[in-house]
Amino acid sequence: MNYLDKLENQSIFIIREAYAQFRNVAMLWSIGKDSTTLLWLVRKAFFGKIPFPVVHLDTSYKFNEIYEFRERYAKEWGLNLIVGRNEEALSLKMGPEKGKFECCTMLKTDALKKVIEKYKFKALYLAIRRDEHGIRAKERIFSPRDEDFEWDYKNQPPELWDQYKTKTRTEEHIRVHPLLGWREIDIWEYIKREKLPIVSLYYSKRGLRYRSIGCACCCNPVKSNADTVDKIINELKTSRISERSGRAQDKESAYIMQKLRSLGYM
Amino acid sequence: MNGRARNIIIGLDGVPYELLKDLSDSGVMPNVGALIQKGTFRKMSSSIPEVSSVAWSSIITGANPAEHGIFGFTDIPPNTYRLSFPNFDNLKVTPFWEKDNNSKHVLLNIPATYPARKVNGVLISGFVALDLEKAVYPEDLIPNLAEIDYKIDVDSEKAHRSLELFIKDLNRTNEARIAAYRHLWVKEWDTFMLVFTGTDRLMHFLWDAYEDEGHKHNADFKNFFKRIDESIGEILSRVDDSDNVIILSDHGFEKLEMDVYVNTVLIKGGMLKLKEGAASNYSNIDHGTKAFALDPARIYINLKDKYPRGSVDPKDKKSVIHDIIRRFENLLFEGTKVIRNIYKKEEVYRGRFMDMAPDIVLVGNKGFNLKASLASGEIFSKGVFTGKHSQHNAFILINKKELINIPEYPSVSDVIGIINSLNGGGQWKANSTTENVPAGTARP
Ligand SMILES: [Zn+2]
Repeated sequence: MNYLDKLENQSIFIIREAYAQFRNVAMLWSIGKDSTTLLWLVRKAFFGKIPFPVVHLDTSYKFNEIYEFRERYAKEWGLNLIVGRNEEALSLKMGPEKGKFECCTMLKTDALKKVIEKYKFKALYLAIRRDEHGIRAKERIFSPRDEDFEWDYKNQPPELWDQYKTKTRTEEHIRVHPLLGWREIDIWEYIKREKLPIVSLYYSKRGLRYRSIGCACCCNPVKSNADTVDKIINELKTSRISERSGRAQDKESAYIMQKLRSLGYM
Repeated sequence: MNGRARNIIIGLDGVPYELLKDLSDSGVMPNVGALIQKGTFRKMSSSIPEVSSVAWSSIITGANPAEHGIFGFTDIPPNTYRLSFPNFDNLKVTPFWEKDNNSKHVLLNIPATYPARKVNGVLISGFVALDLEKAVYPEDLIPNLAEIDYKIDVDSEKAHRSLELFIKDLNRTNEARIAAYRHLWVKEWDTFMLVFTGTDRLMHFLWDAYEDEGHKHNADFKNFFKRIDESIGEILSRVDDSDNVIILSDHGFEKLEMDVYVNTVLIKGGMLKLKEGAASNYSNIDHGTKAFALDPARIYINLKDKYPRGSVDPKDKKSVIHDIIRRFENLLFEGTKVIRNIYKKEEVYRGRFMDMAPDIVLVGNKGFNLKASLASGEIFSKGVFTGKHSQHNAFILINKKELINIPEYPSVSDVIGIINSLNGGGQWKANSTTENVPAGTARP
């Protein structure tokens, strides 16, 4: 079996098992390359018809390209799309000019909390990868399972899930990470093989392209002339710049600020 | 080992002298109680300001902030209005373990030691550490820590949503810390330093549960301290009389009555101006600003040549400082004076990095929690926190009575000297350039 087939099989296995266990589930779709790959795998796992909602947390500060992509493929793939917006915060004119941290937290985290409260999802699929740089991937390893459930499918066979369910009874939800073992380059190789549609922001325009996308306000493009999937793959093989370098600094600061603020500083 | 006594240093972040005494007397902390009977127990003053990053930096270096360069969790470098977050890399002097490379040190969860760097032994950084992979030296310990679900800090965000979840996470984080200490104890070492930081988090959110016997989390509060006491008991059972055991806190705690927003005082007094219609960020400090504050109550004069939109001429600095002092001296809440001490930088700091020091530092009266925050709007308000740091009542407790050299009321920057005298020598030379100056420390 080739390497991509193996990754694909493992992910699909995780996706199906999690659905069998929890039923009331949803997946987060940021419209980025990772979660679009995850969406593709989920479609494959259920033979084209996804039996649960797909949630997009909309900060309303995203790129136009993202909205166009979302509308087009939500229709084409027949998605049950839930758009999570923190209307309360948006109506208070919460936006990046109030500070990036408040923007990200209020608009994303709170929107997610509201969606989960409303639909009572028991589990969420996320497109987190182990090789992602920055605090997000690292924190996962040491986060308690109730908060950011790390699932190493090799060490934790599905039989153990019942145990986790009871362990996390009082908590909000369980997070399932079917792409944990994928690397950035695997994602691109897979996109190439499957001819997956990807938001145009990833392709170079006037010498710049995005390697990861989030809010328009919090992301910086990197210098690159890679305007096709092949060129991107080639660039990844030779480049040594971290995927998230465009926003790592901001994210680190935001994380420290969040920590300090939760203790009443700032 | 060099045949000399081992040093075991146990930090209880934020624990005030009076609380430790109270919980010992009431039987919640019997092991600590026995040690108080047997050893030396003193009230100790914290750094100025009384925050963990500053105080622990003083404890591990013996230096005051103008020598070690850490004045708070935040800073604004000259020529910018950009908020930065000083870390271990910004510490300008070496901590004791880097001056004593012949001994082996185990250092677990000391605040402000992130990112971890090489040591003859083990270093696992404490708050604010972002990424465990950069918080552990040597790296090969990471899998062991992963196995016990080690976490650097409780997720305090939880407390804003549910105190139950917070308490659960706090206990779990603490248990993992205990598991880590046990794992590291069996290594070879001369110094073992461990800081419990959950105490500080607990007191921030649940000081009211301590004061009120009928509070629904009163038992949770006491149980946490009971667990700390059990761990201390366990450690004591593993040492012998020749070892030095030093238990200490970095600052004290007290009931929070009211938050006081220092920058709002400056804004309302016309001394701090933010750009019209822009976010309340330091980067939007506008022309005409005479001073601004960083947490918790460090005031910087907005000097020409020092800051991009500096508007105070150096020759007017004195009168601006005078004006600010007068303003805060007279600040009242319902007839009560809010500020207890107003320090000019020369009064509390000495060292090579005086330029980085705030021009004025305020210390609040009992119950008044001073905060910077540009976005408050109000001078006085009350949030979710029920406890606040206090400057005057940290503690130090030592398992020996016949001490050669301990001040009646020591400060956090005296700790290195005290440990040296216990060891009968000075291998951990303090970094102080100014002997016998209680710098960075107020002794009311
Ligand atoms: Zn604290």
